Amino acid sequence: MSAAAAKTQTTASPDFVISRVFDAPRELVWKAMTEPERMKEWWGPKGFTVLAAKMDLRPGGSYHYGMAGPDGVQMWGKMAYREVEAPSRLVFINSFSDEAGGVTRHPMAPTWPLEMLSILTFEELPGGKTKFTVRWSPHNPTAEEQQTFDAGHASMTQGWGGTLDKLAAYLAPTKA
Amino acid sequence: MALDSLSMTFQALADPTRRAILARLALGETSVSELAEPFEMSLPAVSKHLKVLEGAGLITRSRDAQWRPCKLEPTALKTVDDWLERYRRFWEERFDRLEDYLREIQAKDKADKPKKPSDKKRPRKK
Repeated sequence: MSAAAAKTQTTASPDFVISRVFDAPRELVWKAMTEPERMKEWWGPKGFTVLAAKMDLRPGGSYHYGMAGPDGVQMWGKMAYREVEAPSRLVFINSFSDEAGGVTRHPMAPTWPLEMLSILTFEELPGGKTKFTVRWSPHNPTAEEQQTFDAGHASMTQGWGGTLDKLAAYLAPTKA
Repeated sequence: MALDSLSMTFQALADPTRRAILARLALGETSVSELAEPFEMSLPAVSKHLKVLEGAGLITRSRDAQWRPCKLEPTALKTVDDWLERYRRFWEERFDRLEDYLREIQAKDKADKPKKPSDKKRPRKK
């Protein structure tokens, strides 16, 4: 496993949860996630150029961003804010988007949930460190979307690992 | 519109009965009637599920033997696994870049700020 994977924790739960501890005060980590000029500096894959980053940070507001890859392919995304509690909690619905700011389907999987509820929490740790946790779950999914997410959930948290006995456990129904 | 193979795999996996069938097949080749037993389903109903799984490349059915055993094809599932791994990597990548950004900005802040008198007294650590 890579060093990055070792630093990051994922836990099995009904939602997809991932967290990492940053060597920076909470105030600064919060700002990095909630100020558009700072977001532009790091949000998005490496080597992508920022096309747009429009932020209206308040419940009901949104962050609409666009990026272009080295090959010119554009990627648009949107975060619709629901809760903004500086500097500890940020809740938004995120989705794929287009230049006009609409909500779009995942380009590769039509049954992937259209909208994902993202709950970001920032915890102060001793020594000026901050634990940044992301909790992801489908937002108002259709039955099909929920099932697609559930089918992938175990895989997202632990990986299937390629062995058949693990696969059997992963696919097995949880009901008694 | 023709669905790409990944979407077909997802659709096949979206059904709990089909996931249970795959779980059973992960233990070994099985005939259709054996598969039908634990689900209290008719053979045609099971066959319908098998057709979807076969179409998604998740299983194959032998043409040789008369009982046409069903066999799991792990490659298709591996593709799904790899694809979902990207979602995990989505946050891993962002965390990596955030880490770099926070390190840079803090180093810069330290260099920019004139030293406060209190800084001198603090014992040096790290």
